[in-house]
Amino acid sequence: MTPPTATAPEPVAAPLIPPSSHRYADVIHRLEAGGSMLPDTPENLMQIIGIYKAYAVPMDFYWRDLLYIAEQVFLDPLPAFKYFPSQEYLDLPNSYAGDQSKLRIWRGGEKAHPELLEFMEKGETGKMSKLLHHLWHDRINMEFAEACMEAMLWHQGMGGRFYDYLDSDAYRANADRAIKAYFRGNPLMLGLYALFPEMFMEQVKKMSYYANLGLFWEVMAPVFFEMSDIYDEGGFKGVPDAMNFLVNGIFAVAGRPIYHHVYIKGECFEIIPKSAGFTWLYEAALPYVEAVFYRTAPFRGTKSYNAQAYQVPSDQADFHYGILYADVFPVGSAGIPPTLLMQDMLHFLPPYLEELYKQHKRGDEDKLIQLGITFQRSMYNVTSAVIQALRCALLYPLDDTDPEHLMANRRFFEAQMDRFLRPEARLPQIQTQDYR
Amino acid sequence: MPPFTLLFLLIPPLLGVLLVQLVSAERPTLVRALAVVGPAVQLLLALLCWRLPTPALHLSWLPKLGLSFDLALDGLSLPLLLLTALITALAILASPADQSRPRLFHSLLLATNLGVAGAFLARNGLLFLFCFELVLIPTTLLVAIWGGANRASAAIRFIMYGAVSGLTLLAAVLSLGWYGTGGFNLSYASLAASALPPSAQGAILLLLLLAFGLKLPVFPLHGWQPLTYAEAPIPVVMMLGGVVSKLGAYGLLRFGVGFLPDAWTAWSPWIAAAGAISAVYGALNAIAQSDIRRLMAYSSLGHMGLLVLGLSAATPLSLQGAVAQMLAHGMIVALLFACVGLIERKTGTTAIPELSGLMNPLRGLPFTMGMLLLAMMAAAGIPGLAGFPAELLVFEGSWTTFPRATLVSLIASGFTAVYAIRLFNRVGFGRLDNDRADWTSTCWSERAPAMALTLLVIGAGLWPTALTGWSETESTDLAVRSQPFLSSAVPPPETLAASGSTLVAATLPATSELRTS
Repeated sequence: MTPPTATAPEPVAAPLIPPSSHRYADVIHRLEAGGSMLPDTPENLMQIIGIYKAYAVPMDFYWRDLLYIAEQVFLDPLPAFKYFPSQEYLDLPNSYAGDQSKLRIWRGGEKAHPELLEFMEKGETGKMSKLLHHLWHDRINMEFAEACMEAMLWHQGMGGRFYDYLDSDAYRANADRAIKAYFRGNPLMLGLYALFPEMFMEQVKKMSYYANLGLFWEVMAPVFFEMSDIYDEGGFKGVPDAMNFLVNGIFAVAGRPIYHHVYIKGECFEIIPKSAGFTWLYEAALPYVEAVFYRTAPFRGTKSYNAQAYQVPSDQADFHYGILYADVFPVGSAGIPPTLLMQDMLHFLPPYLEELYKQHKRGDEDKLIQLGITFQRSMYNVTSAVIQALRCALLYPLDDTDPEHLMANRRFFEAQMDRFLRPEARLPQIQTQDYR
Repeated sequence: MPPFTLLFLLIPPLLGVLLVQLVSAERPTLVRALAVVGPAVQLLLALLCWRLPTPALHLSWLPKLGLSFDLALDGLSLPLLLLTALITALAILASPADQSRPRLFHSLLLATNLGVAGAFLARNGLLFLFCFELVLIPTTLLVAIWGGANRASAAIRFIMYGAVSGLTLLAAVLSLGWYGTGGFNLSYASLAASALPPSAQGAILLLLLLAFGLKLPVFPLHGWQPLTYAEAPIPVVMMLGGVVSKLGAYGLLRFGVGFLPDAWTAWSPWIAAAGAISAVYGALNAIAQSDIRRLMAYSSLGHMGLLVLGLSAATPLSLQGAVAQMLAHGMIVALLFACVGLIERKTGTTAIPELSGLMNPLRGLPFTMGMLLLAMMAAAGIPGLAGFPAELLVFEGSWTTFPRATLVSLIASGFTAVYAIRLFNRVGFGRLDNDRADWTSTCWSERAPAMALTLLVIGAGLWPTALTGWSETESTDLAVRSQPFLSSAVPPPETLAASGSTLVAATLPATSELRTS
């Protein structure tokens, strides 16, 4: 009951369209108000920013090594040292971050992140040679980055023109030149290429996806680093602020080129030239989100399935094993991609997240799962940014006064939320802090 | 060692009962720590008795009733006494840190230990009966007070079966005295020396089979077991399965094979059949269970069947195997229930359909499940673990006498793998329930009893003499009694028990005496 002395509340404008009757109506209304799928709470903000930072450090290695493999290792039939990027790639300045960048958008980025270099030197065990760190598996788990790349390669047609281009004559001609140059003076491999050209062509396509993902993450790593810095400076007021930073970042680099260059004996072979016109948003970001956040594959150990009993959809577009649907509890099982990523992030957690995890569930014992769930929350926020960016690009502003436009926005949001109606989706769980 | 040392074996649990009364019930962990001192000291004393010769103790108690306080240790009773002390200590440690009414709980566990230890030490039929009956009271109270939701019916059923068992044993012991050729003398030496008429032997053996068959239990006398094992607190089930059930096996060996050899030989095909049926019935029922406790109960019933098969054959090898099976089963079943107790304490249930994914490395109970897997493998007779040498000896020793029953039991033993894999597949693997998996992991102090048993199960598997060496002389002697034609063929073996001391058969007649009698 309002006390008699209370001041009258300010009049609230009547909504222009009726409320949604969707199962996720609350989330849709939040998106329509410029929010994220992730509720705006201080803990959520802390969790997602902390995990962005922990993700950015290994990501700084991922993108460098992905480009190293795509550009330098290329078709090496025995790529035993592909996870040992050369110093040149470790020192590679980021194209979009730091003062040295002509396209500077974000801070830092002159070289690999210092925390990454420190971890590469010492690891969990201590100082020893790179090879011993590698064999002891005390290193960044590049296998996770490769699993993401393979998801993109395998799912392929997810918008953009990249996939179609890989079958074009221009691409095949460029790839053919590169293959012949790479195996020049190697009659065995050239003979094999003559016998099985498609096998080699498939390998080059794979390398192109290495480059694609490397260029995608080259953008994302400094974004996440800067978000962490801004949070530490007290810059973000809530989850929507963090989401909007991502939306702005997406638009800032949306048109940057996606290409694949290979360096063979000092000569550059442009397998996918920048002039092909592939852009970061449509040829890398959106396919990545679709392939990795939504689809991926039912990893052994994380999902029990029986393809013969139709427990795995026959249509790849119906796959739903990405982080937005994943059961994070099996994290910790040896060798599976989710465990590899969580283990990578574990090394770079900010102190406030360490403290948070200690206070919940099994504390230090199940930190991998707790940070996995944090990662899930953070990726719902990234997906929200992508949804808002798409809405911004394709539809109408949120403050539009035309009810028809708002209804178009509504239909778009509802269509996006329909993808989370299946029981595996974790959208309902992340609405509360109890899910840890 | 003076004879009174044997008396000291019974004093630690008694002192333990008194000691825990001195501590406030508000400090259950301290009560638990003090309670464990009794069986720990008992274990040390028993080990001392193994290493140093300890003559039998004879104290007159009520001579008119034939009751005397005769205590002795031999290769049959010493290992079982060690097992009793060990399992009691571990059962006490396996009780929860916040045990309700801790003084009474631990006192009753110690009283159970006292009864079982007394029965193994006894060298007088009436004293054995006294101790045998003593066990029933604390165990019933433990089930009735601290049991699960159906504890009342479990306790009633347990005491009813126990009472029938006790009464029939009373009748059997008195009959042994009445029909004895040396007057009403219930000392083991006298009972062993008595030459009872075959008809009397048959009637008494029937009573003994009923009494000890109920205690083991064996099909079809097992009615109390699944419900009791499902309802009793875990430490109590560890005691019941680990040592109390061994009273039945020990009784059959000591009284049936030892004192009624003719009847035993005559009835042994039927006893072997009962063992084989128990093995099959227990294994098949275990496969069908949807609760881990009940599964373990039927598993235990099946393994008791193997033990009975070994006893029925009564060859030196099969009897040695039966004793080894008592020890191995005692450790394995205690380990199984220690693990089940940890699962129940953390998840709040033992219902198989409600559990899955417990092998989950971070949010499950992987350590406990690892020990459970090892225990199930041991129960299935996987080489390198305690169950293997015991079962191998039983099968090898029984094969020549009862090949069909042995074959059936072998197949039943194979079923252990079926329910073990089924249990593990459903409970260990699969998806961990995200909504319910909110329990804490087990700490080292909680794991300690199961870990100790795990080490023993592995140790006994790698060094089987620890199971078989104790009873080599005694089992040979007993087998010779039931199958005299073996006496000339079996040379006196070098045994673990004999190597440690002269504790061998102070009260049982030697082979040479038998030949002359």
